[in-house]
Amino acid sequence: MSTKPYPDLPLGFCCEYLLHFSLLLLCLHDQVRNPGFHFPILPSFHLDVPASCSPIVISSFSVVAAAIMSDEEHHFESKADAGASKTYPQQAGTIRKNGYIVIKNRPCKVVEVSTSKTGKHGHAKCHFVAIDIFNAKKLEDIVPSSHNCDVPHVTRTDYQLIDISEDGFVSLLTENGNTKDDLRLPTDETLLPQIKDGFAEGKDLVVTVMSAMGEEQICALKDIGPK
Amino acid sequence: MMLGMVLQYWCFSLYPSENSEVPNARFQAAGAIGDAAIREWGMLTNENRKSLILFCLHYVMEHASAADAYVQLKVSAVAAQLVKRGWFDFIEAEKIGILIEVKKAILGLHGSDVQSAGISFLESLVSEFSPGTSTAMGLPKDYHEQCHSSMELNYLKEFYCWAKSAALNVADKIVSCYANISEEKVCSRALRFMFQVLNWNFKSSPSALDNSSSKSNSGGHMLWLLNFYAIVRQKHSSDMLWFDSPLAVSARQLIVQLCSLTGTIFPSGILLYGHQGMQYRTVSVFRGWLGMHCSTFRPVTGGPRTGMPSDRYVLPVPGDDGEMQIKHLTQILSAVIEWVEPPNIISGALRSGRSESEMIDGFHALLSMATLTSTMLFDNLLRSLRPFGTIHLLATLTCEVVKTYVIKNDDEQTWSSEALDIMLEIWTVILGRSGNDMKISAEGISSASNLFNTIVESHLKAAAESAFEDDSEADYFHVSVSRRDETLYAYALIARAAVETTVPFLTRLFSERFALLSQVWTNNERMDPTQTLEELYWLLLITGHVLTDSGEGETVLVPEAIQDGFSGVTEELQHPVIVLSWSIISFAKQSLDPKMRNAYFSPRLMEAVIWFLARWVDTYLMPIDAAKGQLGISGHDEGLQQHPQSSKKVLLSFSGQHSQGEIILDTIIRISMTTLTSYPGENELQALTCWKLLVVLVRRRHVCIHLVALESWRDLARAFANERTLFSLNARLQRSLAETLVCAASSFKDLETSNQYVRDLMGPMTAYLVDISSRNDLKAVAQQADAIYMVSCLLERLRGASRATQPRTQKSIFEMGCAVMNSLLTLLELYKNQSTVVYLILKFVVDFVEGEVAFLSAKETSILVNFCLQLLRIYSSHNIGKISLSLSTSLQSEAQTEKYKDLRALLQLLTNICSKDLVDFSSFSNEAESTDIAEVIYVGLHIVTPLISLELLKYPKLSCDYFALISHLLEVYPEKVAQLNKEAFDHIVRTLDFGVCHQDVDIVDKCLRAVNALASYHYKEKIAGKEGLGAKAMSSEESNSEFQQSILSYFLRLLIQLLLYQDFRMELAGSAADALLPLVLCEQDLYQRLVQEILEKQSNPAIKTRLASAFNALTSTNQLSSSLDRNNRFRFRKNLQVFLIEVSGFMRII
Repeated sequence: MSTKPYPDLPLGFCCEYLLHFSLLLLCLHDQVRNPGFHFPILPSFHLDVPASCSPIVISSFSVVAAAIMSDEEHHFESKADAGASKTYPQQAGTIRKNGYIVIKNRPCKVVEVSTSKTGKHGHAKCHFVAIDIFNAKKLEDIVPSSHNCDVPHVTRTDYQLIDISEDGFVSLLTENGNTKDDLRLPTDETLLPQIKDGFAEGKDLVVTVMSAMGEEQICALKDIGPK
Repeated sequence: MMLGMVLQYWCFSLYPSENSEVPNARFQAAGAIGDAAIREWGMLTNENRKSLILFCLHYVMEHASAADAYVQLKVSAVAAQLVKRGWFDFIEAEKIGILIEVKKAILGLHGSDVQSAGISFLESLVSEFSPGTSTAMGLPKDYHEQCHSSMELNYLKEFYCWAKSAALNVADKIVSCYANISEEKVCSRALRFMFQVLNWNFKSSPSALDNSSSKSNSGGHMLWLLNFYAIVRQKHSSDMLWFDSPLAVSARQLIVQLCSLTGTIFPSGILLYGHQGMQYRTVSVFRGWLGMHCSTFRPVTGGPRTGMPSDRYVLPVPGDDGEMQIKHLTQILSAVIEWVEPPNIISGALRSGRSESEMIDGFHALLSMATLTSTMLFDNLLRSLRPFGTIHLLATLTCEVVKTYVIKNDDEQTWSSEALDIMLEIWTVILGRSGNDMKISAEGISSASNLFNTIVESHLKAAAESAFEDDSEADYFHVSVSRRDETLYAYALIARAAVETTVPFLTRLFSERFALLSQVWTNNERMDPTQTLEELYWLLLITGHVLTDSGEGETVLVPEAIQDGFSGVTEELQHPVIVLSWSIISFAKQSLDPKMRNAYFSPRLMEAVIWFLARWVDTYLMPIDAAKGQLGISGHDEGLQQHPQSSKKVLLSFSGQHSQGEIILDTIIRISMTTLTSYPGENELQALTCWKLLVVLVRRRHVCIHLVALESWRDLARAFANERTLFSLNARLQRSLAETLVCAASSFKDLETSNQYVRDLMGPMTAYLVDISSRNDLKAVAQQADAIYMVSCLLERLRGASRATQPRTQKSIFEMGCAVMNSLLTLLELYKNQSTVVYLILKFVVDFVEGEVAFLSAKETSILVNFCLQLLRIYSSHNIGKISLSLSTSLQSEAQTEKYKDLRALLQLLTNICSKDLVDFSSFSNEAESTDIAEVIYVGLHIVTPLISLELLKYPKLSCDYFALISHLLEVYPEKVAQLNKEAFDHIVRTLDFGVCHQDVDIVDKCLRAVNALASYHYKEKIAGKEGLGAKAMSSEESNSEFQQSILSYFLRLLIQLLLYQDFRMELAGSAADALLPLVLCEQDLYQRLVQEILEKQSNPAIKTRLASAFNALTSTNQLSSSLDRNNRFRFRKNLQVFLIEVSGFMRII
């Protein structure tokens, strides 16, 4: 099969093509999850998908990547106008241990990946064991490894801790000088004292707030007091 | 008074043991007697001791027929302990007095129950006297060793004879079926005991034993044993359970053990070595006992021939020599053959429920014989008994086992797997030899060929049947693969024994299946090919093993059997190996056609194809021999047969540089390209391609030269550099791909071309990374998952490229690194909370520094070093004092692991920078510009040490790296370490203290080296009248009392404690001596005081004097002076070695 450099194609065509491809993938996804599926039954199916058109494709970023390499000027989608996409599709086979993944609509961190095949001569599938990054619940999923998984955007932001209110909210100083007052302290008994005690001792604390898919939580703590 | 109380205590504990109805209470009481007696041994009179032992013995004898055997066993074990405890307190007559009771019992004067009680007492006694199984008694090691040798010299043989006569006594009854159960028990116990004695670890020199062994007793009891087993077996032939009865098991065990006897047991004086056989000395003891007629026995001068590798053996020269051994083995074989022959009937019996233990023991016996004899001799062993050789028998047996094995009936046939393992081990032993030792008769070759046919056919059948099963082995994938490879390797050896027939056989099978697929394809038939695919999969694996060796870490050559075989073939197209290779390559080529690929080349089949090609390329493609082979061969054995040469030449040259090598290479690259792009998400397949196949392609330079000239290779490089298809590979595979592509650069003749090639390859990556890091909206987009993915891929590629740094490409790789330095710092700042990206950045820098540092000029070094320091500072500012909070314990421990991996990378970075001082290839150096590496390390250490906690040092790899760095630093720059601020210095000392007491020998060694460096530095400075460690060496103000005195005196105390009281490992003696000498020299007064303290603590005057003289010898013999030069250190090492050996005898308490 030919592997001609892809960037020769006009970008518009490229996107349209990608849309088709993702639809096809969806069909295939259903087919594979159907237990009756065996790969020889659908040989012609594969012919529709050019080799160069695999995985990372359905991403704005990678289209940009391709474009950069073909000397075109492009910009990353800025967060404001992108409608704050909360997840991003990535080929299951490229997700590694310690990466992030969305399972059952929850953002998780992958703690174990194993691969197996659908029947001896079938395609590979990935078995993920992951832990919800907010509530620590364990979730599992099995995905054909050439298919895309949702990967959550997980960001972590540092804020200086200004105050802890009595009703369990913290007051944080943002980079541009405003305060952020809508975040609760963790309720867990082992974590809570680590923050409260440090603050009570008068240390200068910076907290790291992790946010993903519309949820936020304090995930780390650092003493930046004078040495 | 004390003694009275103790005795009372015993009486009390003896009381229930005689009268209590609860067996468990008696068991406990027996234990208490043993403990109390050993604890208070010194308080007892000799009379008391003896009566206690006799009491126990009588108790055992009296209750011999009682139920609750475990109580009797415990009491007899206690008696054995006490005998050992008093071994040197009793005079010879007293010992004999005790043992005579046992002898009477064993010889059957009191009935058969007492007989077996006596034997089981001997068992406990012998196991108590062997150091491996003795109980702790709170006595010095010396004591145990003396007991061991005393037993060996004076009693062991006696005991053996008692057991033998006990066995002989009852044997007649057993044979004539009059024996009751307890008599059978006596027999099996006696045989078991004989087996135990045969396993004794003999120590004394053969000459010392000459006297004892010269009294050889009546001969031939081995023959008796064989006959005995055969007769009893005959009687019980209808009883399926008999084979597992204690008597049968122990008799067979003894027979198999006799089979593996080696050494000078045979009068010829020729040593036959077997890796599992007994040692030379062992055997010489038994020479007499076993009743061999050894009139011409003479010990081989110089004892065991240690120069000989233990798995080699000597071919017995025809004639008198070795005849004794052949006779011995033939005798055993004639008995053992009954256990395994005829194979089909035996395996039928096993299937219908008979125990497999006898057959397995028979296989073990065959294995012992195969190990001890040359292949030819092994084959001939059977000829006096049967019309065919042993190899023929072996082949028939293996056929049966394989047939049962492949059926894999999980419930019942578990024995087949064990049996197959032993069988294949035998084959590996007899076929894995080289040269003369491995000559096989024509009959042997034809049986091997038949066997291989059976193996392949049964496996193909099994493969076809299992084709639709789910792949359930995924979890144990790597384990099962290495096990499978071992099995296949053994099969391959069998095939190679008969290459002339097996290779064409494989070709035929392969072509049949290939043709079947093409037929289906052209006729457009609707047929599920899965079964054929699975068969092809298995055929590819076995063919790969037959044609090639795995060659882990070695230069792979064409297997000898294949080189030397096919002597008549002179035409390339007729050479079976070439025909087979071509048919597989042209099959693989079919995968380039998209339609064919989608229809037939499943990922699993493709994995086998790639695996096969990787091994094949390594062995046959443009082999090194081919170019100079002609010279080598004709120079070597000129005038010998012409044919083998020419067939070898044909084989080696058909894919050589000047014939079709290039075409094959091109095909293979195209196939790899296909697996990387057309099998999305198939990680296993792509990993095989990147890690096995492509790596092999760039391994040899003369292949690389052809490689880089090929259009297909350039396509691959272009795709890597400019297209995004390959970004969909797993990031780790992208790293390996980058490494492989850059590796190929070294083959260009011209330096500039090499560098330009690397620039073309990596330029787009660096440009892209710089582009990302300089964006205005970077903060907004950087945290998006797709951006993180892209950055990770790019970093992995850069890392791969820097791992491939070679002198020729060093320049362009350094440019690549410099180009991204600023970007990396920005990204490190930006991704401080994305631990995966941080780790990738650190690892890239580690590899980059490792590859580059030796080549850099002074100016370049300073650029690199400044960059590294900046990196360290940023990392440290983000991570010092950071606590991660998470609800999940597993996420918490993940966070800890990530921290550990980061730190490990940082330590490796510092170590790599250090190496600049040791290895420096840079052509010119300008003093003014040069960077002081020590200064850098000094700063780096300040940054890194606060991040390292004792908790983190529990990770073995991290602590290994850390102590490697610390010991290196202290050895090379002690003055820099002395200048560290107090906090950092104390931290280092604390970690050293932790490390000296570590379990890992390596780490202790490094710590000792560090302590040595520290103390030596201090001592030298002191002598020169300088401050040395100065105030730092003195107490730190810490409340910790351990450090109250100076640091050096603390270490001195610690080290002496370690040497005297702990289980000190002798392999550390050298480095301990090196550390101890400067410490002693620094702290002379303290050392004297310490020695005094230790001596005063010793209550036993005998030990006290020995210890005192040992200490004295340590510092005063061998003209030890008070300098730290090499000679003096060497003398001190010797002294300490002597000291440790001397002291461990009485200071180590077991």
